[in-house]
Amino acid sequence: MTIQSCVACGGHLNALQREGIVRKRARSLSSSAATYPVVYRLLQKLQVCAGCLEALPFIGEQICRQCGRDMCGEVICRDGLCRDCVDRASVPLSNNRSLLQYDEKGKSLVSLFKYRGDERLASFFSALLTIAIYRYHHTPSRFTCITTVPLHPTRLRERGFNQVELLAKALGHAIGVPVKTLLERTKATEKLSKQGGRVHREESMRDAFAWAQGAVLADLSSACSGGIARAKVKGGANSPVMSGTPLRVLLIDDIYTTGSTLRSCASTLRAHLGTVCEIYSLTIYR
Amino acid sequence: MREFLLYIKSGTEAVSSVQTYVTPSFSVDQSFWQERESCILHVIGKTSSLALAFSLREQINECIRKRLPERQKLTDGVVAELRHLAVGKVREASVLYGREMTDRERDDNQASWSSAFACMRQPPKDWFAWKVVEFRCEVHACQKDAESAGGYKIFSRHSLLRRTSLTADGASASVLGKLLDGRALLWEEIETLLCKRGVEVGDLAAVLHEGVLAGKVQWLPGVRMGVVSNWRRKRLVLFCERCGSEDRALQLIYCHSCEQGCAYCTICLGMGRSKCCTPYMLIASSASADIGREKGMGQPARLEWTGRYSQDQARAAERARRFVAGSHPGRSEFLIWAVCGAGKTELLFPSVAEALSSGGRVLIATPRKDVVLELAPRIRRVFPEARVIAVHGASAEKWEESDITIATTHQVMRYHRRFLLVVLDEADAFPYHNNPVLYRALARAAHETGKLLYLSATPPLYLQKRLVSNDRSKSASSAALPLASATHVLLPGRYHGKPLPVPEILTIKGLHKRVRTNRAVPQMTNAVKRSLDAERQVFVFVPRIDDVDVVLAYLQKAMPDRSEQMAGVHASDPLREEKVLAFRNSRYTLMVTTTILERGVTIPKSDVLVVGAEAPVFDEASLVQIAGRVGRSFDDTAGSVLFLQAERAAATKLAVRQISRMNQLAKKLAEAGGDNA
Repeated sequence: MTIQSCVACGGHLNALQREGIVRKRARSLSSSAATYPVVYRLLQKLQVCAGCLEALPFIGEQICRQCGRDMCGEVICRDGLCRDCVDRASVPLSNNRSLLQYDEKGKSLVSLFKYRGDERLASFFSALLTIAIYRYHHTPSRFTCITTVPLHPTRLRERGFNQVELLAKALGHAIGVPVKTLLERTKATEKLSKQGGRVHREESMRDAFAWAQGAVLADLSSACSGGIARAKVKGGANSPVMSGTPLRVLLIDDIYTTGSTLRSCASTLRAHLGTVCEIYSLTIYR
Repeated sequence: MREFLLYIKSGTEAVSSVQTYVTPSFSVDQSFWQERESCILHVIGKTSSLALAFSLREQINECIRKRLPERQKLTDGVVAELRHLAVGKVREASVLYGREMTDRERDDNQASWSSAFACMRQPPKDWFAWKVVEFRCEVHACQKDAESAGGYKIFSRHSLLRRTSLTADGASASVLGKLLDGRALLWEEIETLLCKRGVEVGDLAAVLHEGVLAGKVQWLPGVRMGVVSNWRRKRLVLFCERCGSEDRALQLIYCHSCEQGCAYCTICLGMGRSKCCTPYMLIASSASADIGREKGMGQPARLEWTGRYSQDQARAAERARRFVAGSHPGRSEFLIWAVCGAGKTELLFPSVAEALSSGGRVLIATPRKDVVLELAPRIRRVFPEARVIAVHGASAEKWEESDITIATTHQVMRYHRRFLLVVLDEADAFPYHNNPVLYRALARAAHETGKLLYLSATPPLYLQKRLVSNDRSKSASSAALPLASATHVLLPGRYHGKPLPVPEILTIKGLHKRVRTNRAVPQMTNAVKRSLDAERQVFVFVPRIDDVDVVLAYLQKAMPDRSEQMAGVHASDPLREEKVLAFRNSRYTLMVTTTILERGVTIPKSDVLVVGAEAPVFDEASLVQIAGRVGRSFDDTAGSVLFLQAERAAATKLAVRQISRMNQLAKKLAEAGGDNA
């Protein structure tokens, strides 16, 4: 079932009023003429009313090359990095991109989805993710697979659903890239919202993930019809893919706050897949 | 993962009832039956979906009812057959669930606003997991076993062991009973409540299940599942046990808590997810509020109120009190129909005192949080010795024991047979009106012998039909409204005895276009000017949120010297509360608003203007309420109400008719009263 009214304010969805804003937004979000029709269609089906669509805080043109932060009003350090990223020596993540700024409205929507458990919002959020992928990665089929930040089994049972997995599945369906469970959580970390401090968070996330048992990458390239599938791959799960194009993994999460979760996931993946792979992350909010 | 076991109990005697039970902990059931009677327990199987277990229980019970008269006794053959039946039914439910899922996805894809990603989940082959357990145990009643010496020893030790554990459990059970008395909660809510109170219960499932077996606790799956069949096909039906919504309001999901197909209710989602695998525990209030009341805490019913009723008010209050005190079995609903500004809250005091003095609890439910917050201190002052709590989404005292509970509508869903008197304020207001979910919740919050009292200035037709027209045949003229009957009382006059201001209707062709294009509407600007010049505040009601800015801009342009004193507000305005407060403090003298200010806001010396009164959002009740904003205080009993409409409409006329009818009634009543006096 889908929601027939605006997910943000509960208002009426007036197609006529939305049309102009949808076009404007689609123009600004599509990086090339080729992606305009897709982005336009996605925006048109987004379940927000005209006012809320206009008010959605899309991240601007100028972003940090590494973490995708909106650089409007921020200090740009060398190489187009923001002040957080410039201090980091090596990052396992190739880059992170996000679509929206995490404001109060976003907060309430995410809490409605994650904590209240309104799974109908999954289609809204996954549409946003799809827009993001077309905005930042022009040909999404170049990814070998999509994977998600895993949830601890106890948390999963308590919550009853894995919100990121729902999003990843819908995204994978939309862009035709397989979704794989590659990681599992070994540490039950405190709820992010209850943790304090950037350093503490980084600390608690260290080694919080492990390569999922039985996760296989072997059929990955054969399953993936487009993109790099042409590269013939031999070898088991443990050998990195040796081919002209490197293995590209897309890591999905809902929010990038300090990025410690995503970096931890990425380093686990990298440790397992070898250094040839490229790991990108994509989140809705930043 | 919680698992639920399904078993059949049959007596050892030839003629004894055969019943199917669902249990979260079989050992509790075993010892429970051991204490009472000898019987045979045949375990059928287990699942983690409570809804599935309940639906199977229903079906097996029905099957037993059909089959048993011929055979009387439950043989192992029948049990095997029933096990087989259960497996078949689970498979059928799986298929129906899958079909429902695909049906819905297809419908969603047709709907224009759905997203393209409806088919997000690959359906597993089996939506439901069912594990057949073949186990049979005979339970002997304790006394019987006493006959054999060997058995005696074993069982006496057993029961001794059990009894010690029981006393430990018994203590926690009594604490639990006190905490949960008269509440209807989901499993998770009980867990958080106990956690918050620091109550440690060893095995919560066992303790609660003992209550279930003893008949003190009723338990249901959060979402009920059933199968209906018509001539064409079978269909899965879902029903939320908490709020009573059905079918499409419930969302089908694959649930990681029970690791199978599940459904949750989207209507009452704000209060926690009611799911197929969540037990919903209903604990009827066993006693009155005396639980938890220590001696010497005084009389909660003591009323400390120095105000005085007018003659009409006294009459109505007495009627209501008599209804609460009365013990007619059939009479459980009563309507106080009092015009805007009649002093409804004060009318309640005798009834509330009556209910409290007979040892019951009282619930006052109102649609809005601000009203709860405003009402609580007032009630606290009037009933100084009663425990009064204000319950709304964010309130900290939600779980306290109390004599008088003042709650917002949705919180009422968490009570079960708890209150002797349930008062519903503004029965016609937004969340209640035409909302079976909330009416159901209210009826359930009342004790079995409890009473429901509706308060309204503009009761909806269905309430009028049910409660007002009862005695119509007795009244002299059929057109006149009866002033009182066994189920209602009508209060047509305001507390200060002056008539209600009657609205003036003006039809202006092309009103909206004129306002939008900034052409003059002298009727409107003149009325506003007149009011503002007389140092009165003005409410300007508009039908839609978009109109707020349009009308505000128009008025500001027409009166630039006053433009700073004007503001507009609507429901999703982030500054809503600040603006309304500023209007109350008369920092703003003119407020353009949607219907959100139609109730509850009282501003002395104010006038009302409705722009676009023909819009469907303004129905008769709404217009009467809007007109009722005016002339409520003692020092300013008159005021002007102007309805501007672009075309003729029925609602405005009806509203005017209702108001003048009330005035006539009040006048007649006053004359009659004057004659008597």
